[in-house]
Amino acid sequence: MWRQLCDRFGMPLGMAVVALMGIWLILMVLLPQWQMIDYSLHPSLLPAEQGGEKDVWTLANYATFFQNEIHLSIFFKTIWSSVLVTALTLAVSYPLAYYLAKVARPGQAALCLLLLIIPFWINEILRTFAWYIIFAFRGPLNELLFALGLIDRPIRFLNGDIGVLVGMVYAYILFMVFPLYNAIESLDRNQIRAARDLGAGWIRTHRRIVIPHAKPGIATGCIMTFMLAAGSYAVPALLGAPGSRWFTQIIYNWFFEGGDWNQGAAYAFLLLALCIVFVTLVMRLFKVGLGDIAR
Amino acid sequence: MDGRVSLNQVAMHFGDFTAIQPTTLEIESGEFFSFLGPSGCGKTTLLNIISGFLSPSEGDVAIGDSDMTRVPVNRRPTAMIFQNLALFPLMSVYENIEFGLEVRGIDRRRRRQKADELLALVALEGSGHKPVGDLSGGQKQRIAIARALAVEPRVLLLDEPLSALDLKLRQHMRTELKAIQRKTGITFIYITHDQGEALTMSDRVAVMSAGRIEQVADPATLYRQPASDFVASFVGENNRFSGRVMKIDGDTVTLDASLTVPVAGRAIAGTDALTVGAPATLYVRPEQWRVGAADDTRLPLAGVIENEHFEGAWLTLDVALAQGPRVRVHVAQSTAQESPDLSLSAGMSCRLDYTPARAIVLPAEVGEEVGEEGAHVATTV
Amino acid sequence: MNASRWLSLGLRAYLVIFFVYLFLPLVIMAAATFNASRFPTVTPWTGTTLQWFSALWADGGMWDALFNSAVVAVGVLCLAVPIGVASALFLTTVEGRGKSFVYALILSPLLTPGVIIGISTLIFWRGWGLNGGIVLTVIAQSAFIAAYVMLMVTARLQRFDRTLERAALDLGASQWQMFRRVLLPYLRPAILSAAVLAFLQSLENYNTTLFVAGYDTTLTLYIASKVRTGLTPAVNALALIMILFTVAMAMVYEIKRRREARLAVARLAVTDESA
Repeated sequence: MWRQLCDRFGMPLGMAVVALMGIWLILMVLLPQWQMIDYSLHPSLLPAEQGGEKDVWTLANYATFFQNEIHLSIFFKTIWSSVLVTALTLAVSYPLAYYLAKVARPGQAALCLLLLIIPFWINEILRTFAWYIIFAFRGPLNELLFALGLIDRPIRFLNGDIGVLVGMVYAYILFMVFPLYNAIESLDRNQIRAARDLGAGWIRTHRRIVIPHAKPGIATGCIMTFMLAAGSYAVPALLGAPGSRWFTQIIYNWFFEGGDWNQGAAYAFLLLALCIVFVTLVMRLFKVGLGDIAR
Repeated sequence: MDGRVSLNQVAMHFGDFTAIQPTTLEIESGEFFSFLGPSGCGKTTLLNIISGFLSPSEGDVAIGDSDMTRVPVNRRPTAMIFQNLALFPLMSVYENIEFGLEVRGIDRRRRRQKADELLALVALEGSGHKPVGDLSGGQKQRIAIARALAVEPRVLLLDEPLSALDLKLRQHMRTELKAIQRKTGITFIYITHDQGEALTMSDRVAVMSAGRIEQVADPATLYRQPASDFVASFVGENNRFSGRVMKIDGDTVTLDASLTVPVAGRAIAGTDALTVGAPATLYVRPEQWRVGAADDTRLPLAGVIENEHFEGAWLTLDVALAQGPRVRVHVAQSTAQESPDLSLSAGMSCRLDYTPARAIVLPAEVGEEVGEEGAHVATTV
Repeated sequence: MNASRWLSLGLRAYLVIFFVYLFLPLVIMAAATFNASRFPTVTPWTGTTLQWFSALWADGGMWDALFNSAVVAVGVLCLAVPIGVASALFLTTVEGRGKSFVYALILSPLLTPGVIIGISTLIFWRGWGLNGGIVLTVIAQSAFIAAYVMLMVTARLQRFDRTLERAALDLGASQWQMFRRVLLPYLRPAILSAAVLAFLQSLENYNTTLFVAGYDTTLTLYIASKVRTGLTPAVNALALIMILFTVAMAMVYEIKRRREARLAVARLAVTDESA
């Protein structure tokens, strides 16, 4: 590796490349993650006790989780809701991505993509805040439904999961649309024509031609959306009710309200493990590799 | 300025694969030298070894009197014209030409002066400020040449630079390249799979096959006296007859090639490797045939015309000889017009002859036996 | 009307609904800025006012947070862009064993939830005596933003014609000169857009920053805290300004794109004629 770098860029530049990557991957990625796992396997101690006889390897922090029914249920609710968000986002994004990639003229598609990006240049918090205004008890949505005569008293959208779901789909849709768009775009238009020509209906054409071709894009979109949803803090904090908490909120509480970083680290690792399992599962399911994801 | 290039026992291996067999070669200063061969024959590898992009597995490379084997590419007195030209797309014509001078720390005024001289040489005065994207194919070609000449190389290496051009422009650029080479007196080393290019421009040509130089000679010698079966077949078209030696008379060798009559040719490489009964091959160029009417029994070989193509200056015939093998025959347009009663169209019978002194005989190469079909046409255009 | 006409009509209707879904929240949020109501909403409309802009202007905490955000974003640029470019150079140069491992490692920050990156950074650097604050925020954000930069630069680098590199060396350039004069100018557009993306990502990051910012509140954290406590339409005024800024940038981009497209067509025509 070193040889190849030096051959191409010379010693000084090659060294700079390796140094920068070393700083990043070792000091900013690997060691911090390792330290977090290490933390999660130790009890929370006062500074004076560290290195003392109480400073032992233990699974106690994980035991706490598995013994706490509320935390367990929040963990599984987070998984379930994130899967739901992922599925919803996929369903919403697919027709759009297909339109952009294969139906729209290039100029139209470019404009649409730009329009898509605009909301995502605006703060995630503000985007979520916008939904907070819409969903408010006396907000425009309730007023509209009331004016249409669909309801006779306002609904508390912010009290259940609907607000969180809608807000999350809105927040992460771009991470689904773009991989899908890229994947479908590379499909030869003639394949679709040929399928139609051979008498396949629209549904069959999509099921047999477009979707198989777009598999890497679907996988990437699902992985990104799930990861973002499961790791989201802002959306559930703003749009969720106090009673329907997200797993990230529990983690936050361990750190900044409970003050038990070791316990928090264990919970954080569980979230990380969840994401790793999901990524692996999706990659297996869709038979795609890491190389397909980063595009 | 000594632009002599010496390769001494240069070989190149990639893992188990031998790209270049040990090769020793001297290219004279100021020579237009070509490496000719099919793709994969190792000619590009050899060029990369001379330019310094690759260092040879064995052997030494020298330019003039200095050893270059360990000198990196950016310190060699060579410059390369790349197949896709590799002009820097984000730079203007001036910036491209001046690049080599700029990295040598030459000041702006002298750089510009040099660039203007070179633009004049390639007949593109006044286009220095254009972005290279605005140039046509032929103009790009000239800028690439100017850019390479700017660094005053002792050796200019050209890697099939004309292959992307259309036919007319390609032929024009041949003349132009040759003229520039004469004017500058720089050693040109030219890589190509196109024998037309190699034969028209070069002082000498090295024909390569499978990592080995088969023959180094001037174009006429290469054509008239090919030293190996590969050269005979690759350079120009040839009709090839395998057979066994029947008789050796001076340098004239007669073969039994399973035709109705014995055939003879000249052993250009001497008769040392030929003995009576040994396998050998006879080559007859398509233009060496004399064609006569079917009843003209002075001509010994009878055949039937299978195809005829009109090519302007000549007529190409594919003739199936009575014994089976098919041969290719060129009939000059003037000949065809002088004998209007000779009917040369597909399906007609005819008779053929050639002058043995202009046909050549080579000993069959090791591992080669007399072919079943007796003869085949080696066509490379 | 046949089925495929219905389908295309349906698709169009879907598009309209989709873009309404995309933009209506922003419009409502922006509109609420001008409502005199103390609470940010459009219903009921209690009178049109510009007072929330002056309220925003007078909000010292917001300005402090904005300043912190800017410092962090510049810091992220200085750290993440070089790292991302270096990784892109590495990935497009090196072949062979170990590469796929490094590749997985490089991608991992993209597949890790932001909170985890924040937490692990916080824990790791506490061991070295570095607590939450601007510096730690820069480190934590760069950990994953560098991966985005890497992806964008790699995409362009893969289309680079390596004979240009060879040509530069052949003309006598050192590897550094080749990098400076040939490779870097080629990568410039990708590096610039990666820098813009990195800047925006840094500005809007919440999940990671939440854990590592310490007492140095960034704009996003400030907005979030406002939304949860003491919410007034001053936040909407801020949102409106951001939206206008974004739309203006998008328009500049679109105009530039169209001009470039026209230029490319014109250039093609010129080349054809002179060929």
